Amino acid sequence: MSVGFIGAGQLAFALARGFTAAGVLAAHKITASSPDTDLPTVSGLRKMGVNFTVSNKDTVKSSDVLFLAVKPPIIPFILEEVGPDIEARHIVVSCAAGVTISSIEKKLSTFCPTPKVIRCMTNTPVIVREGATVYATGTHADVEDGKLLEQLMASVGFCTEVEEDLIDAVTGLSGSGPAYAFTALDALADGGVKMGLPRRLAVRLGAQALLGAAKMLLESEQHPGQLKDNVCSPGGATIHALHFLESGGFRSLLINAVEASCIRTRELQHLADQEKISPAAIKKTLLDKVKLESPALSVASASKVSLFTNKSKKN
Amino acid sequence: GSGGVATVAMEASELWVGFVGAGRMAGGLVRGLLQAGKVPASNILASAPSDKNLDAWRELGCRTTHCNLEVVHRSTLVFLATKPHILPGVLEEIRPAVGSHHIVVSLVAGVTIQTLQRLLPPWTKVLRIMPNLPCVVQAGAMVFSRGSNAGDEEAALLKSLLSSCGLCEEVPESYIDIHTGLSGSGVAYVYLFAEALAEGAVKMGMPGALASRIAAQTLLGAAKMLLETGEHPAKLRGDVCTPGGTTIYALHQLEKGALRATVMDAVEAATNRACDMAKD
Repeated sequence: MSVGFIGAGQLAFALARGFTAAGVLAAHKITASSPDTDLPTVSGLRKMGVNFTVSNKDTVKSSDVLFLAVKPPIIPFILEEVGPDIEARHIVVSCAAGVTISSIEKKLSTFCPTPKVIRCMTNTPVIVREGATVYATGTHADVEDGKLLEQLMASVGFCTEVEEDLIDAVTGLSGSGPAYAFTALDALADGGVKMGLPRRLAVRLGAQALLGAAKMLLESEQHPGQLKDNVCSPGGATIHALHFLESGGFRSLLINAVEASCIRTRELQHLADQEKISPAAIKKTLLDKVKLESPALSVASASKVSLFTNKSKKN
Repeated sequence: GSGGVATVAMEASELWVGFVGAGRMAGGLVRGLLQAGKVPASNILASAPSDKNLDAWRELGCRTTHCNLEVVHRSTLVFLATKPHILPGVLEEIRPAVGSHHIVVSLVAGVTIQTLQRLLPPWTKVLRIMPNLPCVVQAGAMVFSRGSNAGDEEAALLKSLLSSCGLCEEVPESYIDIHTGLSGSGVAYVYLFAEALAEGAVKMGMPGALASRIAAQTLLGAAKMLLETGEHPAKLRGDVCTPGGTTIYALHQLEKGALRATVMDAVEAATNRACDMAKD
């Protein structure tokens, strides 16, 4: 089985790293493509032994499982570009937040009558094989196709199938989750430093504490509330600290965060469905690709940009 | 004693129980005792300065007096249920009549065992108990501690008698102030919460009286499930929260308001206040 990544950024790098480390895939069976060869991840992929190309079409041709590992606003461009090369054998896996299966199937169906599409939401810890992944299968993807993806993603962490309408919530929780954890760890380390620990030790201990707690929870039948109680001896240090967390509305902040991420994902999906690109989403690589119809059309405005005028390719 | 529960039960029916002070808390305890049928009303004697409180006791079949010394003379188990500032004077008054056969149990808030033992003869068996208001309806939460001369037999007797009023546990004396913050005052927190629940319902269009009754029943039911299932409250909470449902939306509001921390603050404040008052 060969795997291809359209896009050679963080996600492609993380998954390639994970798959090769897990031994489910040899590096030379992986192809990644991007028009931007300056990305730091590109050299990382090359060093791994992954086949790198600037041609998305080449990636499609040499892959059985094709990951769309580009930012959500770029997806329509990619589908336009590689659509003609998609065959019934391909399993197209989109990892783009907020991009629906139906929008992908709709775009591809102009080229291929029964495209196999799977939508996936993973997260960066796939890089250390502790990812959290969910997937939903599209109209023409069989049970075996889902299982194949599941096998791949299970090699780099936890993977389970879900109904597509839950994927935005998953984005809010485990998609963005590592960022919440990194923020917490940074702050915990600050706390340690404030109380006299050297920074490196503080970071190490904080990370280990969260890792250990997560592991205990995953391996335990008990409710996290019970596990928390087990750590809190009466009148002790921990309960004093927890009181501070509660006073600060710690729990509600986390609930707010998951909610905000989920809602934003839905907003982005809505924008994408309307085929509106927000100026913030347009990056340098895209600018090079977009053929501006009129000199008066400014990308600084949020006006509708046609996605189907792009026929230019870099290099 | 080696007779265990049977001995205690036998003793209870032959027990002469006295109350110095006949206010609400004492009234709650005596109702519990009578309800449980452990002590006949005619074996109970209560004293108070005026008849105001004593009428209710007579209606229960208890004997009453205005003389504290009489209570001590005619009882083996003596409950002290006066207001804190009255107690020192009362102890001085009854001290000459207190013997080694007596069991003295103080309900008086903020008065330590050390103080009680100081103001009573050195051989006195002293225990200190902190009940809460729902003892009145036999759903109380009580903790007690023993003084130097009170032994297993006295502790067992007290526990056996008062379990009829609700939960009754022996604890180190240092927990008594915490019990005040948690459960003594805690009852008021629940009333506040019940009122707020009902008000929310009224805002949404339900008549007040109905809302209040439902609020109370909700608290009762939830507490009953906690006590009977023995499950962790977090687990029971999770069981009620269907994904994306009404409950989790509501809980989010409670978390935004830092309800948990506020409740912890309340328990802490009441406990600290109890400690401070005891020092006075």
